[in-house]
Amino acid sequence: MKKVLIANRGEIAVRVIRACRDMGLHAVAIYSECDRAALHVRLADEAWPVGPSAPRESYLRIDKIIEVARQSGADAVHPGYGFLAENADFAAACRDAGLIFIGPSPEAITLMGSKTAARQAAINAGVPVVPGSDEPIAEQAPDAEVLKVAERIGYPLMLKAVAGGGGKGMRMVAAPADLPGALRAARSEALSAFGDGAVYLERRILSPRHIEVQLLGDHHGTVLPFVERECSIQRRHQKVVEESPSLAVSPEVRRRMTTAAAAVAKSVGYTNAGTIEFLLDGDGSFYFLEMNTRLQVEHPITEMVTGVDLVQWQIRIARGERLTLDPESLLTPRAHAIECRIYAEDPENGFLPSPGRIQGLRVPQGPGVRDDSGAYQGGEVPIFYDPMISKLITWGDTRDHALQRMRRALSEYEVRGIRTTLPFFKWILEDVDFKAGRFDTSFIDRKLGSNGATTLQGIAPEHEDLAAIAAVVHLFTTPPATAATVAHVPSRWRDAGRVDALR
Amino acid sequence: MIFEVAIADRVRTVSVVRKGALLHVALDGRMHIVDARRIDESSLSMLVQSGAEGTPVRSLDASVATQAVAGDFDVHVAGRTVPVQVRQAGSFGRQSKGGTGAHGAGPQRVTSPMPGKIVRVLVKAGDQVTARQGLVVVEAMKMENELRAARDGRVRELSVTEGQSVDAGTVLLVVE
Repeated sequence: MKKVLIANRGEIAVRVIRACRDMGLHAVAIYSECDRAALHVRLADEAWPVGPSAPRESYLRIDKIIEVARQSGADAVHPGYGFLAENADFAAACRDAGLIFIGPSPEAITLMGSKTAARQAAINAGVPVVPGSDEPIAEQAPDAEVLKVAERIGYPLMLKAVAGGGGKGMRMVAAPADLPGALRAARSEALSAFGDGAVYLERRILSPRHIEVQLLGDHHGTVLPFVERECSIQRRHQKVVEESPSLAVSPEVRRRMTTAAAAVAKSVGYTNAGTIEFLLDGDGSFYFLEMNTRLQVEHPITEMVTGVDLVQWQIRIARGERLTLDPESLLTPRAHAIECRIYAEDPENGFLPSPGRIQGLRVPQGPGVRDDSGAYQGGEVPIFYDPMISKLITWGDTRDHALQRMRRALSEYEVRGIRTTLPFFKWILEDVDFKAGRFDTSFIDRKLGSNGATTLQGIAPEHEDLAAIAAVVHLFTTPPATAATVAHVPSRWRDAGRVDALR
Repeated sequence: MIFEVAIADRVRTVSVVRKGALLHVALDGRMHIVDARRIDESSLSMLVQSGAEGTPVRSLDASVATQAVAGDFDVHVAGRTVPVQVRQAGSFGRQSKGGTGAHGAGPQRVTSPMPGKIVRVLVKAGDQVTARQGLVVVEAMKMENELRAARDGRVRELSVTEGQSVDAGTVLLVVE
């Protein structure tokens, strides 16, 4: 393997390019129209256009991407996460074109990508699953039939898309009366997001934690699990803060959970990187939720507590190498790590998307800080894709140490020109329950609900005074030649500024 | 020079004069001595003394980002992002009091916070609306976002239709 095509964009494309560089491999980027000047294009050795900005016409075009791989002479393809990462047709198309797909086999993607088939695989491996419907519920199934299945499982329950992921096509149903509406919404969301309107039902576990286990499997029959990740801090079923290890997982639960995860992966002959998600009950019992057949967004926290470069290992496994890692050390965290996913969304305004040009950027540095980002000063956040612009990761000897470093890093982080979720993380990190580790998957929605109308930032009159002073000093000291482009100020006080500067 | 700075629902009057290497900034009559150094075209390092000699000098990094509307900035200072509107002295006074944003008592100009497409218009011109009522749904970044009324009022100047593409800052309608 000499040249790797990265079939993705944004921070994860940058992450994979860096792994390639670390291994002396050439990196080939692809880009859509609006991504011509994106960071992954700038950092790659080669870059090829694949079409217009809409994902369907570029990053999801299997035919074009395979064609670029052929033209560029790439011998391997890394799919990143999202886009085609869990598309079995893409993995198969790579194989058919003689390319190494850096990920699991198309068969494993198909099997574990169906939530109902994955549940069956877990049951066969002796791993408990949340009680639910064994068969997918067809798109055309009448409400009455679904209500009958729901009756058997019991309320409250979760309605989920069979092809789902990322919280799309997922609804909580508290009572039979809510089912028809939720069913309509989930089906239509699933249909537009995944092209498949089939759903299934699952009993809702009250106050669960979302815990997941990273795995690597090689082509020689070895599957190794890693220390767990705590992913309960979610907003609308999307993870926003993750940490490793979890305060809620004792060494004994860790042993059982990681063994169960490895058993599921082994039973389906899984290779490369994958993650098994569990719900953890208050009493230490856990249930298989689903398997993600790709690299996860939050993989860096596992890297930080184990010292393993997961992307590099994905590539080594794809080359046919044996997993030579020490299994015990993967289950023994050497630090505590935490990650905040920074989105181009305005948390003070209902998390409205905030695309646009990044006018200024100050990235935190110093001990214990890592920023995996696709952003740069002057760069654009396009409207077409996921609004995550970077992942900020800190680590320390203890959870408190890692959290204190995260607070410091957040205070240094500045993204100007667009709004981001940075203030939201500063707010979470001061929350007394978060600090104590008392949370479940409903934590954010509950906290935001009880926050009422006050701003997350807590802007006091003193801060407003400082902002007023800063704005005025900025205008007063801006050289007249740049004032027009910097401030777009009404002409009369631009003129006044010129007069003043001449004095 | 004298500016008016509107933040949330309050307008501050700020004057600034140069005295040697320092700036004397009077904010609503209170004096702040500022040693300002430019870092780049949008960033400053400020040493601010807000009282008599001997009071502590605060070191503050401040940066501004322009917004879609002229004279509107996001000011990044003291770990916070503060939206401000700066006008020349007297400007705010000539408008109906506070009629510049969602927080004042005047008309609310509902603008699109991002480029996107109008998927639904939920009101008609002349409709009576109540605070937090949905007005327009804008789709951007694969998400539908409902823009709501900041207060009770009547819809005036409805200037968009369903299916229309809009830029950030486009005035969609006015609630009065």
